[in-house]
Amino acid sequence: MTKYSDLEYLRLSKGDKFLYRLKCFFSGIPLFFKNLILAIASAFKKLGLAVAHEAADLVNTFKNGSVPTRVSYAVMGFGSFCRGQWLRGLLFLLMEIIFIGYMILAGGYWLGMLPSLGLQGPEQVATTVTSLRGGTNTVYTTVYHDNSFRILLYGVLTLFFIVAFIYTWRVNIRQNKINDQIIRSGKKIKSAGDDMRSLVDNSFHKTLLALPLTGILIFTVMPIIFMILVAFTNYDGTHNGFSNNLFHWMGLNNFNEMLNWSSGATSYAATFGEVLVWTLIWAFFATFTNYFLGMLVAMAINKKGIHFKKGWRTILVLTIAIPQFISLLYVSKMFARSGIVNNFLMDMGWIDQAHLIKFWEDPTLARITVIIINIWIGIPYLMLITTGILMNIPADLYESAKIDGASAWQQYTKITLPYMLFVMGPYLLTSFTGNMNNFNVIYLLTGGAPTNNASSAPGTVGYTDLLITWLFKITQGAESKYYLASVVGILVFVVVAVISLVVYNLLPSIKNEEDFQ
Amino acid sequence: MASVKLTGVKKIYDNKVVAVHDFDLEIADKEFVVFVGPSGCGKSTTLRMIAGLEEISEGTLEIDGEVVNDLQPKDRNIAMVFQNYALYPHMTVYDNIAFSLRLQHRPEDEVYEKVTNAAEILGITEYLMRKPRALSGGQRQRVAIGRAMVRNAKVFLMDEPLSNLDAKLRNQMRAEIILLRQKLNTTFIYVTHDQTEAMTLGDRIVIMQDGFIEQVGTPTEVFEMPSNLFVAEFIGAPKMNIIKTRLECKNGAYYVTPFGVRIPVTGEKAEALKEKGIGTQDILLGVRPEHITLADPDCESAIPCTLEVNEMMGSELHLHVYTADESRLIVRVPTIDLSAATRRELVYGKALQITFDSKVMHFFDPETKKNLLL
Amino acid sequence: MSEKDFAVPQKRHMGLKASKIISNTSIHILLAVISVIWLIPFVCILLQSFRVESTYQVGYVIPKQWGFDNYANLLKTDFPRWYLNTLIVALCAAVFQTFIVLCMSYALSRFRFKMRKPLMRFMLILGMFPGMLTMIILYRVLADLGMTQANAVPGLILVYIASSGMGYYVSKGFFDTIPKSLDEAARVDGATRLQVLFKIILPLSKPIVIYTILTAFMGPWGDYVFAQYVSFGTSAGKNVAVGMYGWLTNDQINKFYTSFCAGGVMVALPVTVLFMFLQKYYVEGVTGGAVKG
Repeated sequence: MTKYSDLEYLRLSKGDKFLYRLKCFFSGIPLFFKNLILAIASAFKKLGLAVAHEAADLVNTFKNGSVPTRVSYAVMGFGSFCRGQWLRGLLFLLMEIIFIGYMILAGGYWLGMLPSLGLQGPEQVATTVTSLRGGTNTVYTTVYHDNSFRILLYGVLTLFFIVAFIYTWRVNIRQNKINDQIIRSGKKIKSAGDDMRSLVDNSFHKTLLALPLTGILIFTVMPIIFMILVAFTNYDGTHNGFSNNLFHWMGLNNFNEMLNWSSGATSYAATFGEVLVWTLIWAFFATFTNYFLGMLVAMAINKKGIHFKKGWRTILVLTIAIPQFISLLYVSKMFARSGIVNNFLMDMGWIDQAHLIKFWEDPTLARITVIIINIWIGIPYLMLITTGILMNIPADLYESAKIDGASAWQQYTKITLPYMLFVMGPYLLTSFTGNMNNFNVIYLLTGGAPTNNASSAPGTVGYTDLLITWLFKITQGAESKYYLASVVGILVFVVVAVISLVVYNLLPSIKNEEDFQ
Repeated sequence: MASVKLTGVKKIYDNKVVAVHDFDLEIADKEFVVFVGPSGCGKSTTLRMIAGLEEISEGTLEIDGEVVNDLQPKDRNIAMVFQNYALYPHMTVYDNIAFSLRLQHRPEDEVYEKVTNAAEILGITEYLMRKPRALSGGQRQRVAIGRAMVRNAKVFLMDEPLSNLDAKLRNQMRAEIILLRQKLNTTFIYVTHDQTEAMTLGDRIVIMQDGFIEQVGTPTEVFEMPSNLFVAEFIGAPKMNIIKTRLECKNGAYYVTPFGVRIPVTGEKAEALKEKGIGTQDILLGVRPEHITLADPDCESAIPCTLEVNEMMGSELHLHVYTADESRLIVRVPTIDLSAATRRELVYGKALQITFDSKVMHFFDPETKKNLLL
Repeated sequence: MSEKDFAVPQKRHMGLKASKIISNTSIHILLAVISVIWLIPFVCILLQSFRVESTYQVGYVIPKQWGFDNYANLLKTDFPRWYLNTLIVALCAAVFQTFIVLCMSYALSRFRFKMRKPLMRFMLILGMFPGMLTMIILYRVLADLGMTQANAVPGLILVYIASSGMGYYVSKGFFDTIPKSLDEAARVDGATRLQVLFKIILPLSKPIVIYTILTAFMGPWGDYVFAQYVSFGTSAGKNVAVGMYGWLTNDQINKFYTSFCAGGVMVALPVTVLFMFLQKYYVEGVTGGAVKG
């Protein structure tokens, strides 16, 4: 396509300008993906180089190292002890002892079982017991052998531990290298006391981050890795790995089961597609209705000449305070067939007993109702956020626009809106992905209802179900196909990640950070 | 009360940008040194490295003969005044000034004495119980200085302390810093982008650009003998006029030919040129605005030009003129030298003649931009 | 020039004033309508919680017979137990979560270490995984530790606080607005990083500390999903959300509908009162930190 210079572009008509920008955008997409691939390739290259560099460094450190340094390759912390850094030495040595002990006592078993996820499941063993009176009874007891769940869990933990150990070992060697260098240049080595002091000063961030990051590692990272792995097994209610059958690796089977389109409308893929489309529609409306209406309310409250500003704001803010499960459950009952809303309409004479509005039974109406009730939930919050930003728009922008002859509406579209979109771009993105995963509103309002009877997928999926509520339902009940839930979870991640990546690269506030500052 | 020595100090950021290149400088005990340069020249980075707020990538920093590269700021025994004052908003003025002393667990009596003493010197005694936000810019600046004063630090660092003040207050505070320096009698390192501050405050000035030191010298040295074009243009306001011309050497006599007018080079400058063995060559000729005078039309070395802008500064006039080949020059004339009638005539388009003497000429190499006489 | 030409500006001037009055009045009316819409459900809950004549869902709002029977009835159910559970969990979570979030956000706001950017990016990616997924395994792990069902309280506390470091955005955004030169001045004055945190940053961060405590308290106070998972089927381990959700199922609703309303008032009351007093800080936290991220 032809590229215009700035001056040429300015001569284009309005329509041509738009077309040109559209063309630019689409012609930029291949480049974006090319850059993405190049970035990934260069990341791999960097990784390779880093590994090679590390290996070379290890060899060199050993070659040029002092005796304590060399001993430290086998006995961690030896070098540190030799140089009076007893604290570091102790920690290194402790790590090594724990690691070796763990690997011998338990880690080896978990690791060894990881490829098979267990060889022998629980079984009923019959034992013949001779009773006192001489008769014989057969007593069945369950004998537990391997436990797939634990094998997967502890296998992953063991892998974590091995990585952590290798890292510690590497740090141990690097510190020896640094110490060698310091000794060679004749400077003083940091003592254990220095180490302790630096933990509240120079390295205070290590102290601060230790606890939060451990928590995240154990309670978020590890479960996510575990659940990703579950997507490749047949872990479900009938193969739970301990009280009944073991589960096993299934390769990509589950993804095939979920995404295979071959059986047409009754395949899981059809359900997945339907739910995904509704999830995206929902996220779009939930985000933007709240955003614009919230902004509107904020502007109304902040307008010059409006009284009781604080009062209006307080009323809305207080609704945030009330836990969602109360308000949502209650509102859900208000809109039920025999709820207050229908009764009110009947009292008014607008409908009669035969024509009650089926808010939760008609698929389309249910979806619209959910979006409208979500506005009720979201506006107070958006009102607060936009108020803060509206206040930050420099007043002289409006003054100069007024002098240039802009009407109130033009001031809104030409100044307020661009400014708000610019500043809140990242917020809108996170709010969009947040709404895709908005479990509370959907589950508490409708629980996914009305049920989609055409779907054969597990979890009795309904018309207002989002991917996230569907995922939750899949894990419920006796069938609980955890592996399918994992597949859905991974797909949700992929969708969210792709949207975030694309939008993030298009957002003006990321691209031109200085524009409005 | 200490010397500071920087040897080959370098600052390289994570993105491989080098902010400061091989910085070598020895600052004597009780000396007042000013780092000056345009923004982004690395002067603040150097100061922050001395303070310990930035890591030193390479080289060594010694305070009082002790290498302090790896010491935390609190262990370096320095005091610092920040550009935006950095007063603790939740503490009163008294608590602000007392903060460092309390961290050292000094007895409250001593704290009281030192804080009130400093407040006395700075004239902020009546504000001791106020919070910083209730103070004016100048008062905040005094509190920031007070906070640094009470520490009896070895080195006193100031990072553009006056740049947030208005012009009038800035002049007043500048004078107060000179007085303060007499009272404290310690080593000062002062960073500024304002050459006037540098000239008036410093015992020595370090002029920096793009992470390099361009020249180190006393105010007189850098003014009279700038080592290169950058320093020549940076020091002095309005800035030095630079004329592209030729230096001719005939039979041992030098002259320059700006705008086709022959001006002989005599005296000290001619001797210096001879000593350096400089012959006929292209040069950049530098002349400060205050050294150009208005000439009579019949003067032999008069350069004809046309007046474009006349700025009346009060005690002097800044005349912006252009010559036949469209070169712009600035001429600074004391108002008192001109009669009222002449001044009235100095309007746009007025034809003028200007000239200057060889005593005030600076010669720069057009290639290397270095001063030919150094 | 006729008279008309002169009259125009004056007319427009009058029109301006009149239209201003009209627009302001209509905005006032709009705001009043909005306030009513927003308050209706809560007023309904409050009114129905005092209804004595029947416990099932009815089509009218104003009770025919008033009384505190529903509140008294709450005491006969497991509600007090649930309430206590929720209170303990929410209080503990508020304390520890605030501590963890502040640690995390201070470190990420003030220190420039090599892994900082990768760490933040990593957590951004982690956040894209649906948190629901991790519940399955966390439930099993807690079950192995004996912290589910009747013993759900410690298990819930553990889970709520464990990953709370991920929610550092808002408070980091706030810390970022405190000038770094304050830290530097304090360090030159002789403070360690620890002292900087306690003597300079925290005293200046009152709004964000209160905001963090408030949100950390409200999360567990109204959480349904995870609490449902962990307390699975055991009444003694439920929190209010899970317990009261059970009251609205089709077979229970006629017995417990008004109890739900009374319980709802009991649950909403403390948070609403807290909000009344701390509204200022909450607003400051939301507007200051939410967008900067």
